[in-house]
Amino acid sequence: MPSTLKRISIASALLSHRDLERWLSHAYDILDHEGIGRFIEFTSHIEEEELQRFRTARGLRLSDVAHLLTTFLRGLSGTELRVAAGDESYTDTVTVFLPHAIDRYADLERDFMIYKLLAAHAWAQLTFGTLLPGKETLDKFLGEQGTDSPDIAALFRLFPGQGMAEHIYAVIEAVRLEYILRRELPGLMADICDIKNAYLKERPSLQGLSGKTLFVERLYQMYLGDRCGADRHEDADVAADALCRLAEHQSHEESLHSLMIICRQAEDARGEYSPLPIPFPLMIRPAAVSLQLRARRRIRKQTVERAIAKLLSMPEVRPRTRPAGRSTGDERRAIPEREYLLISGRVLELDAELREILDDRGGMPGGILVKGAGLGAEASPLTLDELVAEADTVQQAAGGIPYDEWDFKRGGFKKKWCMVHEKDIHPDAEPFVEMTLKRYRGTVTLLRRKFELLRREPKMLRRQKEGDDIDLDAVVEAYADSIAGRSPSEGLFTKYDRHERSMASLFLLDMSGSTKGWILEAEKEALVLMAEALETLGDRYAIYGFSGMTRNKCDFFHCKSFDEPYSEMVKRRISGISPKDYTRMGPAIRHATNLLSDVKARTKLLITISDGRPEDYDAYKGTYGIEDTRKALIEAKEQGVHSFCITIDREAGSYIRHMYGAVNYAVIDDVRQLPHRITEIYRRLTF
Amino acid sequence: MQHVIKTEEFTIGSEPYYQPLGREVEIFETAYANRIPVLLKGPTGCGKTRFMQYMAWKLRRPLITVSCHDDLTAADLVGRYLVAGGETVWLDGPLTRAVKAGGFCYLDEIVEARKDTTVVIHPLADDRRILPIEKRGEILAAPPEFLLAVSYNPGYQSVLKDLKQSTRQRFLAISFTYPPRETEAGIVSHESGISEELCLKLVSFAEKTRNLKDRGLIEGASTRLLIHAAKLMGAGISSREACRHAVSEALTDDEEMLRALGELAASIFCCRATFSTRSSSGTTSSGTFGSISSMMTRSVPY
Ligand SMILES: Nc1ncnc2c1ncn2[C@@H]1O[C@H](COP(=O)(O)OP(=O)(O)OP(=O)(O)O)[C@@H](O)[C@H]1O
Ligand SMILES: [Mg+2]
Repeated sequence: MPSTLKRISIASALLSHRDLERWLSHAYDILDHEGIGRFIEFTSHIEEEELQRFRTARGLRLSDVAHLLTTFLRGLSGTELRVAAGDESYTDTVTVFLPHAIDRYADLERDFMIYKLLAAHAWAQLTFGTLLPGKETLDKFLGEQGTDSPDIAALFRLFPGQGMAEHIYAVIEAVRLEYILRRELPGLMADICDIKNAYLKERPSLQGLSGKTLFVERLYQMYLGDRCGADRHEDADVAADALCRLAEHQSHEESLHSLMIICRQAEDARGEYSPLPIPFPLMIRPAAVSLQLRARRRIRKQTVERAIAKLLSMPEVRPRTRPAGRSTGDERRAIPEREYLLISGRVLELDAELREILDDRGGMPGGILVKGAGLGAEASPLTLDELVAEADTVQQAAGGIPYDEWDFKRGGFKKKWCMVHEKDIHPDAEPFVEMTLKRYRGTVTLLRRKFELLRREPKMLRRQKEGDDIDLDAVVEAYADSIAGRSPSEGLFTKYDRHERSMASLFLLDMSGSTKGWILEAEKEALVLMAEALETLGDRYAIYGFSGMTRNKCDFFHCKSFDEPYSEMVKRRISGISPKDYTRMGPAIRHATNLLSDVKARTKLLITISDGRPEDYDAYKGTYGIEDTRKALIEAKEQGVHSFCITIDREAGSYIRHMYGAVNYAVIDDVRQLPHRITEIYRRLTF
Repeated sequence: MQHVIKTEEFTIGSEPYYQPLGREVEIFETAYANRIPVLLKGPTGCGKTRFMQYMAWKLRRPLITVSCHDDLTAADLVGRYLVAGGETVWLDGPLTRAVKAGGFCYLDEIVEARKDTTVVIHPLADDRRILPIEKRGEILAAPPEFLLAVSYNPGYQSVLKDLKQSTRQRFLAISFTYPPRETEAGIVSHESGISEELCLKLVSFAEKTRNLKDRGLIEGASTRLLIHAAKLMGAGISSREACRHAVSEALTDDEEMLRALGELAASIFCCRATFSTRSSSGTTSSGTFGSISSMMTRSVPY
């Protein structure tokens, strides 16, 4: 450790203050995510070229505009895309990698233009089929080599190595997407010719190249030089022709078609392909795309495999048939012409996932495939999730407060399925609250003033029996009443009232393991600021956290209950909030709703702060978790609890809208914003 | 005090421009024929008020609109006694007048009204169709021509303002959303007089702001804002400026968001002059907010 300290002090002498901060925060990230070993290793590299990476780049740095670009991309795409620095520009469908800095022009605006163009191309690649051409199209081109779930990487495996096909595709798509972008974002594309020309000037002369390299470079230069128009040149060969054809046909299928033609011709060229970098617009990395797609599928697959393993270990039973006389219309029934898996005496629905796993494993030990017709009309097949659920019922843990859980496949509740255990957060002596207040000193002052104003904002009550001023409307009315011979009302005054807020808010914090690091820190800081604001306001509030592992161990951590003052102990509990296990959101929401329904208040508010998908160790994943969370929120709403869900999720997918759609929510992509945003959200919600 | 406007004056003389988006006209007519009150929901500026005007014209009924606010009392709706020359005069409120005239009463933004005000419409909104006038000890039965309509924006993010179940379950609901691209461009073009081609671009910009709903914006740009922008453009103001003043600034105060919206607008609308003069770099910055260099000096709190 001493040597590490020494190295840090050496580094601090070599770096400017801001650069040092960047270097240190990177080091802490490593410490958080990769452990002390890697941390020490990292801090031991204080050679010049290592530190160089943290030196402020000249020109426009991505870090300065990343947030703006993210918003820009979101506006374009309507989906959550991340922006990150990378050695080359491309996207893997989740993150758009862009250069660490751009320093091409004296004018930073113009450097920024390049970033915007790259971002727009990334959006176009994702929206217009470049990276995700769809199964149908892929099957067409893959022919014999098609798989169940092909992706673009499978296509590129058709070509010999060296990445020539990827480069050609990058050029083809640059050409095609430019047509589309000119149509969709004409303002952005206004200066594209100048920009491409500048890149063209930096390219090597074609004279010095030969063979395959020349072939590809010529195409790229055609693109940069804007010579891919519909007006073909006399000297155009097959490849150039294929490129120019995109002017008229801008479908991604046409692109793949051109790719095939051009690659075939390129293969005929002599020699090895020695790739030259393609700095503009984007490269295409089919492997990275595939990796992302497969990662998503792998998670699904693991769930299914676990379910099957469980199924095999279960005792054999007779094929489940509908109990006589109790025919509910919505019961699933085997369809005669479809196939089912008969395993351990159970009839299992054969969905796409299960089919894939069967194919992968080359069958299922102890299981046989049966036609629906062979099962008889009485057979009602189970889904995998149902089976997992059934297997789980066997072991019920003692203690805890039971809650139902929604099973969307079954369309019903699993009764007393989850056990919620209330626990105290272990207090920590670290002065986290004080430190946060110090760090956000400016914000806190502002916050107090803002909320004080709200509190003092008087509300004029009309038609009072006593008050500060005369209510003219009421007097006129009373006068009229008395003349008309009716007894006039006594409420003739107006009164200013510190409008009484009958409000109780429960803050529910995601303490799952995935929040470890900055997210949890930001959550805690947000709580501190929120407590500050609420104390000023005098609103009643409670703070709880949740995490857990499996349905029998849903932990609900107490930090501050409604009737507890914001004491030293509470502050130490906030300090003691630390990452735990998984995120089973449903039971936590149900328990919080329960707590809220015991509180006397006109308006009840449940604010959850989490970092993405609800997920537990068991089958509580994907759609299942999303649907249960959604259901829990709807139940809360039905009980008069207003929910607001804040999610810190940089990769939040479209599921968010579905899961939180029934209530209000906000997605915060930059965790640093949370402390600043949360009080604003609260203010907007409750005034 | 108040000038008494004759109910007939609320009759809409010439056909209001309304572009149907689905079967809302038919559904409204059926509701009306069956005397079911109607709830119009949808984001702000998407044509709810216009639709009411159109239906009132089509069915030839006077239309009385009340914009609800949190100080609106039951008396404001139903009516009150006034004194004139030592005598009391009863003055019908807009709701009473609409009932008597057999017109349409449209309560705009019903959630804004106080809960105790909202309940006066309850007996009128169920099959009793009556309006008790407490002050006069009268009960007014609504004629078959009368129709009650209310509007409500469900996206409104305040827990204190939500429509009670007992209120909302009295209505037949028609949901309004932003029209499809071409239709919306047609509407904007019709209302502003500028070309459909330009309007398509405005709509494209609007779609991008709608993508940012709940991701920094509370609400995306409404058709109304697009019409404002189009009118500015029609008057010769550059499209980027029009987008900025009519749309972006109307949507948010957040600097960074304004800048991002500016970038989106600039991406959609051409303005060839942008980079032609490099010398005047400070002001050319693509018609957006805050220059990039100013953003670079802003540091993050970590
Ligand atoms: N379907 C449509 N047909 C014709 N014009 C429309 C249509 N939709 C929107 N508009 C135009 O949009 C403008 C705004 O619509 P309108 O005032 O009816 O909104 P609103 O839904 O009542 O909004 P708010 O909830 O804010 O009152 C109208 O003045 C009209 O010009
Ligand atoms: Mg309106």
